[in-house]
Amino acid sequence: MRAPQTQFVPGTAQPPGTQSFLGRLFDNRHFLGLLFMLPAGALLLLFLTYPLGLGVFLGFTDAKVGRPGEWIGIENYEWLVTDSVFRLAVWNTFLYTTIASVAKFGLGLWLALLLNEHIPFKASIRAIVLLPFIVPTVLSAIAFWWIYDAQFGIVSWMLQRLGLIDTYIDFLGQPNMARMSVIIANVWRGVPFIAISLLAGLQTISPSLYEAASIDGATPFQKFWNVTLPMLSPIIAVVMTFSVLFTFTDFQLIWVLTRGGPINATHLMATLSFQRAIPGGALGEGAAIATAMIPFLLAAILFSYFGLQRRRWQQGTKD
Amino acid sequence: MKDTEQTAGMAYLVSLPRKVVTVYIPLGVFLVVLLFPFYWMAVTSVKPNAELLSTTGNPFWVQHPTLEHFNKLLFHTAYPSWMWNTILISVIATFASLAASVFAAYAIERLRFRGSRQTGMAIFLAYLIPPSILFIPLATMVFKFGIFDSKLALILTYPTFLIPFCTWLLMGYFRTIPFELEECALIDGATRWQILVKIILPLAVPGLISAGIFAFTLSWNEFIYALTFISSSENKTVPVGVITELVEGDVYHWGALMAGALLGSLPVAVMYSFFVEYYVAGMTGAVKE
Amino acid sequence: MKTHTRRDFLKTTSGIAASAALGQSLLARGASAQQLSFKPESGAALRVLRWKRFVQGDEDQWLANSKKFTEATGVAVTVESENWEDLRPKAAVAANVGSGPDIIIGTNDDAHLYPDKLVDVSDVAEYLGKKYGGWYDLARQYGTSGGRWIGIPMGAGASAIVYRASQVKAAGFDGIPRDTEGFLKLCQALKAKGTPPGMALGHATGDANIWCHWLLWSHGAKLVDENNRVAINSKETEAALEYAKKLYATFAPGTLSWLDPSNNKAFLAGEISLTANGVSVYYAAKNSADPKVKAMADDIYHANMPIGPIGRPTEMGLAFTAVLFKYSKYPQAAREYLRFMWEKEQFEPWMEASLGFVTQPLRFYESSPVWKSDSRRFAYRDSVKFMLPNGWPGKLGAASAAAMADFAVVDMIAQAATGAASVQDAIRMAERRAKRFYS
Repeated sequence: MRAPQTQFVPGTAQPPGTQSFLGRLFDNRHFLGLLFMLPAGALLLLFLTYPLGLGVFLGFTDAKVGRPGEWIGIENYEWLVTDSVFRLAVWNTFLYTTIASVAKFGLGLWLALLLNEHIPFKASIRAIVLLPFIVPTVLSAIAFWWIYDAQFGIVSWMLQRLGLIDTYIDFLGQPNMARMSVIIANVWRGVPFIAISLLAGLQTISPSLYEAASIDGATPFQKFWNVTLPMLSPIIAVVMTFSVLFTFTDFQLIWVLTRGGPINATHLMATLSFQRAIPGGALGEGAAIATAMIPFLLAAILFSYFGLQRRRWQQGTKD
Repeated sequence: MKDTEQTAGMAYLVSLPRKVVTVYIPLGVFLVVLLFPFYWMAVTSVKPNAELLSTTGNPFWVQHPTLEHFNKLLFHTAYPSWMWNTILISVIATFASLAASVFAAYAIERLRFRGSRQTGMAIFLAYLIPPSILFIPLATMVFKFGIFDSKLALILTYPTFLIPFCTWLLMGYFRTIPFELEECALIDGATRWQILVKIILPLAVPGLISAGIFAFTLSWNEFIYALTFISSSENKTVPVGVITELVEGDVYHWGALMAGALLGSLPVAVMYSFFVEYYVAGMTGAVKE
Repeated sequence: MKTHTRRDFLKTTSGIAASAALGQSLLARGASAQQLSFKPESGAALRVLRWKRFVQGDEDQWLANSKKFTEATGVAVTVESENWEDLRPKAAVAANVGSGPDIIIGTNDDAHLYPDKLVDVSDVAEYLGKKYGGWYDLARQYGTSGGRWIGIPMGAGASAIVYRASQVKAAGFDGIPRDTEGFLKLCQALKAKGTPPGMALGHATGDANIWCHWLLWSHGAKLVDENNRVAINSKETEAALEYAKKLYATFAPGTLSWLDPSNNKAFLAGEISLTANGVSVYYAAKNSADPKVKAMADDIYHANMPIGPIGRPTEMGLAFTAVLFKYSKYPQAAREYLRFMWEKEQFEPWMEASLGFVTQPLRFYESSPVWKSDSRRFAYRDSVKFMLPNGWPGKLGAASAAAMADFAVVDMIAQAATGAASVQDAIRMAERRAKRFYS
């Protein structure tokens, strides 16, 4: 609420009635608000909202790199629905996202609980734990690429020395093995983010709740189930929404490790979209594949919104 | 939130051996697994090719460490250009995004102009739109604007995912600044601009640093836009350059690849190590809001 | 890597004046003169974009040749190179947007994606063809469209069987059998001896496409017929896939995920005894700092790809063609550059420096020193003669380019060979995908 300009303090404000139109304008919060929003708003409208619409539009054309396309209606989508590679990519995306997210959540929560304990050097350990998340995905993927090498991979070497296997594991050469390998790499990268976020949430849970539960004779598991989880659920909702979303639309990890192979077994919708659009030159088809991801994104966003709703209800404050 | 507060109450109930098994060992395993690829990266980057491709000997240690891979990387590839490009683009994009975000966050959170709540929600939603959906239409726009294969293409497109995040973060920070401070200033007759610059900004410095560090890290990590919009060797960023060029035609240069990966991670890791608290605050702040 | 070869202004103008005078007296266009020359426009400067060298010598000599050109004509030339896969979209964008490098040396179907944006270079091509023994068929196919020359073929990066002679001998063979059946027996023997072969079945844009198309064509199968109608569903394709299954059984593990560098890596590490590749493996061995690998170079030999039931060579390679864009401001200078670089004095040293990585497009260069100085490379000499263009026997164009970029043939062979799909299913899937591109 704007305070009335009735007081005159020497040297600061203008006497009432003498402020120029421009001055008043710049003090009007609506005008100023819109003005302040201008840089961010303009950039986002031009490079986010417009491309989003353009992308959807392109999906209805047969645009190619090097020549604009013509409107062909839903022909791209008709083709994609019958294309086994596309269907495989959709299936892969769901598989990848589900397994990786469940694993990340489980391991992340466990790590958060561990970090929440009374341990020495906690701050340093926390800093170290976040490293996989800080380092650019592509660069750590290169390390995994080498670790997964079918001739010189270190994991195979270790397992062989331990006598557990005879021949080197072909991590990226067999379809299911490749899927597992990329999921593991994704989980490795994502666990820190989930762990640290959940840790922050854990730290907001008042210890008196645990103490009260102990007095009532609750076992550790009951404490976890009835105190920790419910208190954490708003944060879990947000963190997992982010995580699921970015796993679903993952590109970098797959592209570096397998390019979508072997025989398209690790192609996700994002990587297939890229392959068809840029080296393949079929921009329209690529855009259609990318657009097909949108319904799932919307579902994730709605889920997150309802998660937030619950939080509001729980904490009884206005968002 | 002080660590001692929460577990001081009942920690004495957990015996040490039990703790070792349920806490220290799993934690140790986590740490080893999380750090191993970096160790491997570092070891491989100083191993000579002969040792890299041999199946005898202990691969965990290096017999004759060498700097030849770094030498090849720094002096026989365009790596220095890539590093420079990435730094330049990340810094400019971060600053531009922060500037835009500060204004936007202040407008939404403090000025509460008409429609600010919806705008705030829209900004949050904007962050959820991933680059892998936008890169094709952005590519056509980049071709048309004539900025294909230039750093400008990235400087203009990176803010699309930096601004939403920074704005969201800063909104949270501004929320923690008591409104009374502003009210006093308003009563004293200060303009909105003065309030922003003299009161809010100095108090929000931690938030700015957090957002800045996070934005820098996000830019450094970006791949698909850089891969699609840039094709000349000298204009590439580190992630794209290392992946597309350290494989010379059809020969892998593992040592150089690892050296490139290691060096490419260093700036971000170094920056992060100085500002860990800010980074974590930024990450958790965004999630909590 | 960029090179700026500029002379300062005074030298340039006097250079142009001198060469212009020279050019006037030598100018003889169209006639079968021994020397054809184009007069570069005044103040001309050229931007050339080419694929990034696989062999260091290639780039060094190309730049040296370009420098010679600048010294002779005063035209400054900037040569840039890019990863050949990155080059394709960049060239397409340049064509569409109407600005970019004057000359682009691209790969395979590139020129046929936008022929109307390219300058007719028939004068240069006809001259070179007459002077140097004529173009091979493959060069003609890649360089012409609608009866006119849209580019000057540079040759092709060929693939041959690269093998360890000692290991082949130990398996009981004197060399590589000339027919596919014999070749299969060799591979089986190699595997039995613990020295298996290996060829890429992942999305290796070069290697996988090259050997998979060879396999398909050698059995008389094809993706499309002469009229670009999909013809993959045939007995010949089934035969090819059955062969692929048997061949895959002899491979070292991991080939399903191999990208272009993987077979080089495995070969040089001694994991495989035989693969299909360009001369880069031999080159890497010869120049290796590791004494073990260097010693291997003496054991590396090359042989042409075997001939299948179809009865004739059916090789595929990475064809290179130089195109000149209509938007270029200096078409005459560009023509002169192309002519100059393809003349014997420049082309032969360049071939030598490339260690035979690029096989020539003109017959005269069969006698080039590069094929004599190291007999080991000899198999690559006739590669272009044996090569078939992408999409053979159909026409080059957007459809053939798209089909290759989508790995339709490679995936089909990979699926059948590994048993991921039955032969019939694999064929049907490839047929559907091909119909999409060739519709």
